[in-house]
Amino acid sequence: MAHMDATLGASPSGQLAHKPTGRISDPIFVGLLWASGLFVLVLLGLIIAMLFHGGLPALKEFGAAFLWSTSWNPVTEKFGAGVMVFGTLFSAIIAVIVALPLSFGIAFFLTEIAPMKLRRPIGVAVQLLAAIPSIIYGMWGFFIVVPLIAAYIQPPLIEWLGPLPVIGALFQGPPLGAGMLTAGLILALMILPFITAMFVEVLESVPPMIKESAYGVGATTYEVYRNVSVPYGRTAMVGAVMLGLGRALGETMAVTFVIGNATRMSASLFAPGSTIASTIANEFPEAPMGSLKLQALLQLGFILFVISFIVLALSRLLVRSKLKS
Amino acid sequence: MNFAPDTPLDIATAVNRATPPSGQPKLKVDKLNFYYGDNHALKNINFDIPEKRVTAMIGPSGCGKSTLLRVFNRMYQLYPGQRAEGSILFDGVDLLGKGLDSTVVRSRIGMVFQKPTPFPMSIYDNIAFGVKLHESLSKAQMDERVEWCLRKAAIWEETKDRLHTSALGMSGGQQQRLCIARTIAVRPEVILLDEPTSALDPISTSKIEDLIDELKQDFTIVIVTHNMQQAARCADLTAFFYLGELIEVGVSSDIFTNPREPRTRDYITGRFG
Repeated sequence: MAHMDATLGASPSGQLAHKPTGRISDPIFVGLLWASGLFVLVLLGLIIAMLFHGGLPALKEFGAAFLWSTSWNPVTEKFGAGVMVFGTLFSAIIAVIVALPLSFGIAFFLTEIAPMKLRRPIGVAVQLLAAIPSIIYGMWGFFIVVPLIAAYIQPPLIEWLGPLPVIGALFQGPPLGAGMLTAGLILALMILPFITAMFVEVLESVPPMIKESAYGVGATTYEVYRNVSVPYGRTAMVGAVMLGLGRALGETMAVTFVIGNATRMSASLFAPGSTIASTIANEFPEAPMGSLKLQALLQLGFILFVISFIVLALSRLLVRSKLKS
Repeated sequence: MNFAPDTPLDIATAVNRATPPSGQPKLKVDKLNFYYGDNHALKNINFDIPEKRVTAMIGPSGCGKSTLLRVFNRMYQLYPGQRAEGSILFDGVDLLGKGLDSTVVRSRIGMVFQKPTPFPMSIYDNIAFGVKLHESLSKAQMDERVEWCLRKAAIWEETKDRLHTSALGMSGGQQQRLCIARTIAVRPEVILLDEPTSALDPISTSKIEDLIDELKQDFTIVIVTHNMQQAARCADLTAFFYLGELIEVGVSSDIFTNPREPRTRDYITGRFG
């Protein structure tokens, strides 16, 4: 303010000669802002380059087949990403399938049904789910969920659904507790808050008048939801699901605890498996510098990065296209 | 339709179009009080809405006229904290009584909003949506119903070749007539119009007003409007609300040419509101 008064009070020539106080500090400030912005780009570029370069020898050794080869044998030094890529996608998809209806339910309850007094507690509880560290989910999953599933969920499912044709393949193997299904369930809980929060945002953006119009022709709550609210926010909702999927893909600690860490491929929900992230977490300590194993792990990291990147880019695209229209 | 400036003369000529009310009340409002939480929004309202006539509710913003409209089709029940006391008899049945299904009430008392509110679907589905909720029609019957209500809403010619395109691509005036068609499609007995032309240009407005004139042959119409010329042109009966009270209700020509209450006179001559 004082600076402005001085400028206004000065003669025209004095104005030009005047040296504002920010003459030196402002370029520094702007420069720092540029640096912070560019830092992100450089960092991202370096990480990608490091992962790819570090993993390149493994890719050269095994060729493109590294992507789908299902052998992972540190003894014979035969490595392939097939089992992990499959496990990553399989567990993440289970997570989304489980989390999706729950998120729909919570989000719609919060925006439409819940009395004002209940909205905040439930909303906060959902957010707190997101605040629980992944390692806690892992421990809880390992000590509580895995034994429960092994004792009460898997035996009846294996017995009833196992013999069925086609879908029976999903319910094979011994009831170990740890496995794809358990990993998917834990992941579902972990991505639930993110999907729910975005669903709430989308549902709240539906104009009340449109909902009232649907109520006005005699629609019930469900019919309004089904035919108006959801179609209205469909694209953004698909984006939200993709975002959840992206999170599930990269989740490490909790999955490592409950997935069973087997490097065999199985279509069964109950079979132990591994994801890219869990494999890296498990095997990194046993991969000496410069070994082919370490290079294979780095290459795995690169693949995970690419998968996550594609999923995230798709979700951004969908969310943005909705916001524009 | 004339587009004369808003003058008292215009009102007087327009009033001649109105039909005098007769017959029994379709809706009988009795000792109605309405609350938004602690806010007493409607105070002891008593009046009758005659069948197959147009009843206009006018008054400055916040006077409770839209609130009353939302009580008629129980829209207020969607929101916690809003409650109504008293009774509104709809063909002798109390709309505020327990045990009535809101969806049934709303299918018999339809509503059109301030802004066009097409659903994010095709023109055809916009109409079929409401109908499917209450009746199971064959494809041919549904086609017939869609055509019938689009004709009623004077929008058939404009839409017949694009029934299966998105309703969001229509103009505002067309969308509003589609919303009226959608309301008619359920075959209600009463149609509530909440400032239906406030978002429309004059030509679309005049089309809607002509439509209201047509529709009163089949439906009881209640319209909330800020436009007094509109009330004078369209309505048989006009009710003036002020600060949650019903100040005066009567034949439109009386209200607009010879109001009993000074507050009504002040409002229609533009001294406040």
